[in-house]
Amino acid sequence: MPKQEEDRILRVWTPILLRTILIAAMIILVIGLVLTYTFAPDYYVQRYNAVQQGHLIGREKFDVLFERLRQGNPHAVLTIGLFVLTLVPLARVAFCFFLFIRERDYAFVAFTAYVLAGLIVGVLVGSVG
Amino acid sequence: MLEILTNLFALSIGAGFIGAISGLGGGVFIVPALVIFAHMPMKVAVGASLISVVATSAGASVAFVRDGWTNLKVAMVLECATVTGAVIGAYLAGVVPTVVLELLFAAMMLQSAYFTVTKHGDDILTKGDPLAERLEFSGDLPDPSGNMVHYEVVKVPQGGALMVVAGLMSGLLGIGSGALKVMAMDYIMHVPLKVSSATSNFMIGVTAGAGALVFLSRGDVATTIAAPVAIGVTAGALAGSRVLPHLKVESLRTVFVVILLLIAAEMGWRALSGI
Repeated sequence: MPKQEEDRILRVWTPILLRTILIAAMIILVIGLVLTYTFAPDYYVQRYNAVQQGHLIGREKFDVLFERLRQGNPHAVLTIGLFVLTLVPLARVAFCFFLFIRERDYAFVAFTAYVLAGLIVGVLVGSVG
Repeated sequence: MLEILTNLFALSIGAGFIGAISGLGGGVFIVPALVIFAHMPMKVAVGASLISVVATSAGASVAFVRDGWTNLKVAMVLECATVTGAVIGAYLAGVVPTVVLELLFAAMMLQSAYFTVTKHGDDILTKGDPLAERLEFSGDLPDPSGNMVHYEVVKVPQGGALMVVAGLMSGLLGIGSGALKVMAMDYIMHVPLKVSSATSNFMIGVTAGAGALVFLSRGDVATTIAAPVAIGVTAGALAGSRVLPHLKVESLRTVFVVILLLIAAEMGWRALSGI
């Protein structure tokens, strides 16, 4: 694939990818806030005051999170919205990685693989740290 | 709840707006806003800010990438450095005392103020160094008369070294470190200023994303704060970018510098007085 075609694909598809995931995350967050305001305003105020004192909920297991999401828990909806938001950079780097593989541009396959690995290491560091 | 949400939206929309028109990004303003006005612990402010920086970077990058201002290859190589720094920084943010974070934040505000004052015109090179040429870092951009000007890039390792520091600061302090990234590309690697700004904006998403993933996985992101802040900063940044073409940013430069110096003084004072 010529370099110009690679560049064109990146410039056309990267913005679409970024915008799509960003809009999806924002919609989930807005829905989560509306659900919180409607069904759990006291819980929100209680959590806000606790956070001001430095008391965070801590790590939440994904199976528990999805079970609470299935039950329509507003806090779970907000948490999922934040996770979707962090998918923006992951998805963008993964897209570039596969594009460079297709083009056999191995130097940039290595660079994007390193960045992807760094993002995954971030999840692991956070999980154990 | 409505009062809390109104306050958080006001702070975050304001931070996103000023961040967009100053070119420094929302993180620089939302962290001190949450610490000073919402009385949030520094770690909570950093976590919320990292998430919002991911959102604003994605929003702002769309037009820059589409219109060809972003040098994608420079971004992808330098992201190796920023991600490394960001993961280390976000890990350290969980163990470094708050007083150190506040002092570092004050130092970064001074650096941003210095950068805002000393931003200069382009010093375009027509001959790159071998590594930059091998990585195809060169590009073209239109000059004020609309003619395309070719630029070359130099000193990739030196720029990369400063990018590790930028990533470290991003992960530690919840900011995009855009001022540091632009300095590395513009001053050291001779990437033209507008291309540096667009490329920095693009990279900030991955840098902040790496830090945000560490914070989220560690359970250090307060959902109740981060969710409205992410929405507010994004909305503020969007409004700022719409207003930006109609503003005389040069005349606002002094205001930005004064705000940055006030934040530096407040954060430094909080650190030293132990508030």
